[in-house]
Amino acid sequence: MPSAEVMSDTVLEVRDLHTQFDTPNGIVRAVRGVTFTVRRGETLAIVGESGSGKSVSGLSIMGILPRNAAVTGGEMLFSAAGGPPRDLRKLPEKELRKVRGRQISMIFQNPMSSLNPVFPIGEQIAETLRHHLGHSPAKARAAAVSLLAQVGISDPERRVDAYPHELSGGMRQRAMIALALACDPELLIADEPTTALDVTIQDQIIRLLARLQQERRMSMIFVTHDLKLVAEIADRVAVMYASRVVEEGAVDKVLNRPAHPYTKALLDCIPRRDYDSDAGRTLKPIPGVMPNPLAPPPGCAFEPRCPIPIEVCRAAVPPFEEISPGHNTACLRWRELRP
Amino acid sequence: MNAVAHLGTDTHPTAPAQEEDVLVRVSGLSKHFGTGGGLFTAAAAPVRAVEDVSLTVNRGEVVGVVGESGSGKSTLGRLVLRLLDPTAGRVIFEDEDITDLRGAALRGFRRRFQMIFQDPLASLNPRMTVGDALIEPMQLHFKLSRKEAAARAVELLEQVGLSASDMRRYPRSFSGGQGQRVAIARALASEPKFIVADEPVSALDVSIQAEVVTLLQRLQKDLGLAMLFISHDLSVVEVIADRVVVLYLGRVMEVAPTEALYRTPAHPYTAALLEAVPGTSRSGEPLKGEIPSPSNPPSGCVFRTRCPFALDACAADVPALRDVGPGHQKACIRDDLDL
Repeated sequence: MPSAEVMSDTVLEVRDLHTQFDTPNGIVRAVRGVTFTVRRGETLAIVGESGSGKSVSGLSIMGILPRNAAVTGGEMLFSAAGGPPRDLRKLPEKELRKVRGRQISMIFQNPMSSLNPVFPIGEQIAETLRHHLGHSPAKARAAAVSLLAQVGISDPERRVDAYPHELSGGMRQRAMIALALACDPELLIADEPTTALDVTIQDQIIRLLARLQQERRMSMIFVTHDLKLVAEIADRVAVMYASRVVEEGAVDKVLNRPAHPYTKALLDCIPRRDYDSDAGRTLKPIPGVMPNPLAPPPGCAFEPRCPIPIEVCRAAVPPFEEISPGHNTACLRWRELRP
Repeated sequence: MNAVAHLGTDTHPTAPAQEEDVLVRVSGLSKHFGTGGGLFTAAAAPVRAVEDVSLTVNRGEVVGVVGESGSGKSTLGRLVLRLLDPTAGRVIFEDEDITDLRGAALRGFRRRFQMIFQDPLASLNPRMTVGDALIEPMQLHFKLSRKEAAARAVELLEQVGLSASDMRRYPRSFSGGQGQRVAIARALASEPKFIVADEPVSALDVSIQAEVVTLLQRLQKDLGLAMLFISHDLSVVEVIADRVVVLYLGRVMEVAPTEALYRTPAHPYTAALLEAVPGTSRSGEPLKGEIPSPSNPPSGCVFRTRCPFALDACAADVPALRDVGPGHQKACIRDDLDL
C-alpha cells in the first residue's frame, strides 16, 4: 500500500466530457459537458432515465463506444494507485488495453455481453488472468475457483467448468462479476447490473457488490435508473437529464434535500402509498416529455417541464453552482425548491 | 380448501364485498406445460406453472398479483382470460362457467375482458394505423358504421391522453409510454368490464410509469373496471391494488387487503419479498438461493427450501390457505413468527 502522500484521493476525474452519435437522422449529442469525480474507495451512482446519457458516459470512460459514436471533447483523468493522472482519451490503444479489464472493468445488465457462450466460465476468468497478470494455467484456474467462491457461486470446483447457459440468471451475473474482478481493478463500472433480475436476486447482487467493493477498497461507478437503489449502494450521486449532469452530491443530501427540480420530480415519481390520506394513492408524473435529442433547447433542458422556471433559464445552460460543500446543482432557482 | 373458495368475499377494508359483487372467480386452477413426450423423446416432468390457485375479483376492484419470474403470474393471467386452457380448475365470469367455452361462444365473451401487456406493440398490428386498430374491434363488437366507430376511436384516444391526429400514425412511431396509451385505448374499445394488465409499466422509465399508472387509476375508477394487475414491482402494486395475491412457484402464498399485506405480512415469503425492495430497512439476511424448477417443485410447502423458518413438517403437506385476519389468508403452518 503506497503512503497517503503518494495515493491520490481521486481515481477518476471526468471533465467536460462530450460524446456524440452519428445517426441517419443527424448528430445526437448523447453526453454534453459531463463533469464528475470518483474518489478512491467510494461508489458514485449515475442516475437518469433512458436517453439521459448515463450509460454512454460509462462506455466513454471504458472506451467501448459503438462504431457510430465518439468522444469529441473533455478529459478523463484516471489515477492508478500511486501513479500520476493519465487522460484515457490520450492513451494509445496498446496502453488503454492494459488499463481496460485490468485497472478499470465493467459489468452490464446482460451478463452475456461479457461472457462468451462457447467457453466454460472458469476458462474465461483464467484467460483474463493469464493475459493481464501472466498467471500459469494452474495458478489461473485455482484463482478462478477462488473468485467464483468469492462471488457466492456454490460448488466452485465443479462450476468452474460450467458453460454460461448452464447457469441461472443470478448465477451468470455472479460469474460476470467474478470475471470483472479477476484482475482486482481499481475502478468497476456497473451499468444497470441488476435491472433484469428479480427483486430477491437483485438484493443478493447489490449486497455482494457492496461487500466486494468494501473488501477490495475498490471504487465503483454504479449506473442506474433506480433512485431507490442509489440510496442503497452509493456514497455520492450524479443525476443526469438530457445528456448533462444536473445535480451532484452526497446521496443523503441529494435524495433528502434535492436542489434541482428534476431530481425532486424524479423522487416524486417513485410510487409510495400513504395509508393515512385520501390522496395516498396518487402519483406525481412529470408533465411533458424529454427534449428531442437531435435539437435540445439552448438553455436548461428541463425548463419546458420545470414547475418554477424564469426567463433566463431559457437563454443559457445554467452553470454548476456549489450550494454546500460537495453539493452542486445546475439550477438557478434551487432556493425556491421546497422539500 | 374451504377458505379458498371464499377468497375476496370476506370483509373488505373499504367496501364489504357481497357475494353478488364477484365478477371473476377462479377455483383450483392449474396449468401444466409439456406433459406428453414426442415421437422419440420420453415424456419429461411437466412444468407446473400454476398449481391449485383460487381467487376472486370483485366488480370495480383492482387485485394485484405479485411474484418473481417463474411464479406463474403471467400464466395465471392468461388462464383467467381463457387465452390458455387450464389443466384443472374452473373460470367463472359473471356467474357463467367459461372454462369449456370454445370458438364463437368464447369470442362472444371476449369482448367483456381484455388484456394489456408489457410490450404495447405485442397487441398492435404493426401494419395497421392506430385508427384502424381501434375501429376494427368496435365494428366487430358493436356493428357500428365506420364513421361511428371512427368518432368513438377519437373519443378513446382523448380518454387516454392522445388526440385525433394520432389516428393515422403507426404503432412503431409511438414512444413506450404513448404506445402503452394506445394499447389501453384498444383494450377499452370493446368496453370490457375486466382487464388483466400483465406488467404494463415494467418497461417504462419511472416518470412515464407514473403517468401510465395514473391513467390506469383514473380509467379504472371512471369506468368502474375490475382489474387483475400483474407485476413484479411491489411499490407499483401497493399504489394501485385494493387487494394483493402473492404467488410463489405457481401457488398462492398469501392474500390480503393491500395495507394489511404491506404492513403486516403473514407469510415468510411475503416478508422476504418486501424486505428485498430497495430503500427498505434491512434487518434480516437476504433470501438465500433461487426459485426452484417448476418441473420439480419441493414437496409440501414449495417455499420451504428458501424459508428461514422451515420445519420438518413443512415438507409433509401442502399448507392450505387459512384466515389470519379480515380478508387476510396465508399458506403457512407457522403462527409463532415475528415477521
